[in-house]
Amino acid sequence: MAPSAQMGWCLKLPLLLTTLAGLHASTWHVTISGLGGEAAYETRFNALATESEKLLKSSPDSNVKTLAGADATKANIQKALAEIAKTAQPADTLIVTIIGHGNFDGTDYKINIPGADVTALELGEWMDKISAQKQAVINTTSCSGASIDALKRDHRVIVTATKSATERLATQFPRFWVEALRNPEADTDKNEQISVLEAYRYADRRVTDFYETQKRLATEHAMIEDTGKASGVRTPSPDNGHGLLAGQTVLIRFGSLQQAAKSPEKQALLKKREEIESNIEKLKYEKAAYDVATYRKQLSTLLVELAKLQEEIDK
Amino acid sequence: MRALAALCAVPLLGAVTLEECREHKRRGRNIEAKDCFVQLVSSRDAYLQAEAFWALGDYSTANERFRSAVATKPKDPLVRVRWGRMYLERGQRKEAGELFSEALEIQNDFPHALIGLGYLASSNFESKAVELAEKALNKDPKLYEAREMLARFALEEYNEKRAMEEADKALAISPEALDALMLRATIEWLNERDGKQWIQRLEKINPNYGEGYSMAAGILVINRRYEEGIELYRKALSKTPELLSAKAELGVNLMRLGHEVEARKLLEECYEAHWRTAAVTNTLTLMDSYKNFVIFNQGRIILRVHKKEAELLRPYFEAELERAVNTFEKKYKLILDRPVQLEVYPDHEDFAVRTMGLPGLGALGVTFGYVVAMDSPSGRQPGTFHWASTLWHELSHVYALAATKHRVPRWFTEGLAVHEETAVNKEWGDRLDPTTIQAIKDKKLLPIATLDRGFVRPSYPQQVVVSYFQAGKICDFIHEKHGWDRLLAMLHAFGKGRPTVEVVEEFTGLKHEEFDKQFLAWLDAKTGEQVKGFDAWRKSIRLANELRKAKKWDELIATAEPMVKQYPDHVEPGSAYEALAEAYEEKGEKSKAVSVLESYAKTGGRSPSTLKKLAKLLEESGKVRQAAEALERINFVYPVKDYEYHQKQGELWLAIHENAKAVREFAAVVALNPVDAGGSYYNLARAYRAAGQLDKARDTILLSLEAVPSFRPAQKLLLELQ
Repeated sequence: MAPSAQMGWCLKLPLLLTTLAGLHASTWHVTISGLGGEAAYETRFNALATESEKLLKSSPDSNVKTLAGADATKANIQKALAEIAKTAQPADTLIVTIIGHGNFDGTDYKINIPGADVTALELGEWMDKISAQKQAVINTTSCSGASIDALKRDHRVIVTATKSATERLATQFPRFWVEALRNPEADTDKNEQISVLEAYRYADRRVTDFYETQKRLATEHAMIEDTGKASGVRTPSPDNGHGLLAGQTVLIRFGSLQQAAKSPEKQALLKKREEIESNIEKLKYEKAAYDVATYRKQLSTLLVELAKLQEEIDK
Repeated sequence: MRALAALCAVPLLGAVTLEECREHKRRGRNIEAKDCFVQLVSSRDAYLQAEAFWALGDYSTANERFRSAVATKPKDPLVRVRWGRMYLERGQRKEAGELFSEALEIQNDFPHALIGLGYLASSNFESKAVELAEKALNKDPKLYEAREMLARFALEEYNEKRAMEEADKALAISPEALDALMLRATIEWLNERDGKQWIQRLEKINPNYGEGYSMAAGILVINRRYEEGIELYRKALSKTPELLSAKAELGVNLMRLGHEVEARKLLEECYEAHWRTAAVTNTLTLMDSYKNFVIFNQGRIILRVHKKEAELLRPYFEAELERAVNTFEKKYKLILDRPVQLEVYPDHEDFAVRTMGLPGLGALGVTFGYVVAMDSPSGRQPGTFHWASTLWHELSHVYALAATKHRVPRWFTEGLAVHEETAVNKEWGDRLDPTTIQAIKDKKLLPIATLDRGFVRPSYPQQVVVSYFQAGKICDFIHEKHGWDRLLAMLHAFGKGRPTVEVVEEFTGLKHEEFDKQFLAWLDAKTGEQVKGFDAWRKSIRLANELRKAKKWDELIATAEPMVKQYPDHVEPGSAYEALAEAYEEKGEKSKAVSVLESYAKTGGRSPSTLKKLAKLLEESGKVRQAAEALERINFVYPVKDYEYHQKQGELWLAIHENAKAVREFAAVVALNPVDAGGSYYNLARAYRAAGQLDKARDTILLSLEAVPSFRPAQKLLLELQ
């Protein structure tokens, strides 16, 4: 088995265990919707912030704070994060989403907000004070690619709408990001939660389709960084070592998963389910080692077992 | 050749003349000609050196010498013209045109410059080519080259009578006018006679005139006689092996007929010999790109599609190919003796390489015998291209050309092809457009006797488009009056080489002038109301757009309703139908909105977004089948890049148990590789199960769960299938 495949399989297990453990932890959302400059952008940004808030609030164990328009000042942002720092636990998740315009002056990336702008460095410092071990910054603004280096650290996912500071035009990314939160299609592994990785892939794809359909040159290229060491990639995969943390960081939960985890009787079944899912992942990574018929037979056996088990869980 | 250039420093007295060298060349005494030009290289005259280097194939040195010659003889128009002719020979048209124009600035009616510009115009099939040749003759009636040009142009327009007259006039000026003799032979070949008497005359003067055979080959190709053209290019090369222009054309034409191995070999030889015209380089580049294409061979039909869209497009294209072949075998009473090959190009530039150098072709598809090339829907803006109409159009050409051994006149095969687009489905094909309306108003439709010219050498920019329309309507007219069998009989008559006026008279019972009258009266009955209403319609467009922006729905309805009646054929983007439907929908009158959009669709409206809107409204009113049919129309226009409409279509077909169609649509979703792979395989599995294809259902549900093991609905289906 290739080392990267092995790593992918082994680390999948902690993902599932974390998911179960994490079900009793909280997710803290802070959404910052900055200045639009023009009326059309103001309207667009505020609408996205409002919709995002509504969707995030529907997820169990979510705490949502939205700072939009005149409220999105430097002082308020710092204050909101400081409040979270007082209450958050290490098992919690912190997600900061930025909607609006960004800029880069050659040294610092800044979010355009009323009054003094906030730099990426400042935002990162305020987030460092929060003990939530899993963190994410979803920066959907123009020039957002320039914020990666200032924000990156271990256990923090950075998603940006642009690859660098040179992509200065208003972005399409935020509307597709918000769309990912409400479109079940984004839940590609069908586990009733949308991870940062799933939302990123969905939004990135939709942005690409947008420019292709409109026959326009793409002026934005989303990036993701979750290793704490690099400057972001376009396409996260086990091959480049990106996407693991992003796949574990849940944005929004829905459906029966949350309810099932609260029942002690079902926990044993859920544990068994984990094992089968792990075996399926292992088999998929080892696919090349099997002939087609054997692979199919083994896969089919595991999937039937998993399906029957799920029936039990759902009773 | 550079060594030869060094000889220029040493002048030689009593050397040969340019005329002597040319005479050797004209008489096919190639060795003597070469020796002569080698000597001419040592002339002190830069112009003579230029001519010599050119004749010896050293274009680079010739170019330098021409530059020097122009500097030393700035007022001599002939030097510039000859320099321009060299550029023209090398396919560098811009430079050639500039030099011919400069020559005319020196002497505004210099005949050789006019001839040069005439050749330039003729390479783009512009009508001014004829005017320029005639102007040259006005200045110099003895310029037989101009007569030869006119003869050639006439043959390109299928006007053999005029071609003969002009060629004979050239021969009257000079009995040894080589091109005139070759053109007379070409007329014989076009009529399947051997042309021996003309070739014998020609070969007495020049037994090695490869250039002449190459010219004849070009005319045969323009007349779509590709196989014969290829044989003539081979003959040209046997006479003049170093004639790279002929080698390049041979390569391009072999490629057109699917003989790719030999085509590549010849084109690479041209490239290596620095004959790097656009045709050579672009064709080689296209051939290199074939590694990205997949070929599906189904016996009677061969489909070549780009691998990035093969899985998606194959079912739709193969279904239409099969349907078209089955239909045309019956209609044309002909079974082809070899497969039809359809090539589908997502990159329009690749498709354009296939049509390079041929006049008046549609921008969407082209047929070379049994090989058809066309744009892929993915290469076009959504809603602008009805690929299925184009496929049927081009397939019709395959049968018309095969039935007549490529002798069918251009107007008739195009007319049949346009007729077939709407014969298969009234909603397909193109509607009456503003350009054609204007042409009708301006009485610019051509008489049937000369309709071919509208395709080959248009006298105004849109004449090709108008000619397609007119030819199609003529076939519709004959079909309406006399039935399909009459059209088929005319086709066979054309196959025997009979001219248009004769065939029209025999099979319609009308002299061509009377035919024109009756056709125009019929056309007026069909289109007159729209032609009359066009000006009023055009005046209302701006108002309608303003009312739409201002959301003044009642006023918009009052404006748009008459617009639809004035010009019902207008289903292009921004049509009155769409405005009217929007107004009704905004006012809550959904059933009226549906009715308007149904009319739009039945008239051939093809905007995917509008058809999706129609489908949504129909679904909301419970008309599931009609909703599915509305979406199905998009399959023939823009089935690419949009998995959502395929998914919706699949759901609708599944709901009314049209399971085969549901399978088709969900398979399209899978082919489009959406983010939700698990969901797309799941839907396909459901459709397979509904269609009773349980093995495929099981295989597909495993694919769904392989992608997404936790997918509940797929798990449920798996257990059911177990």
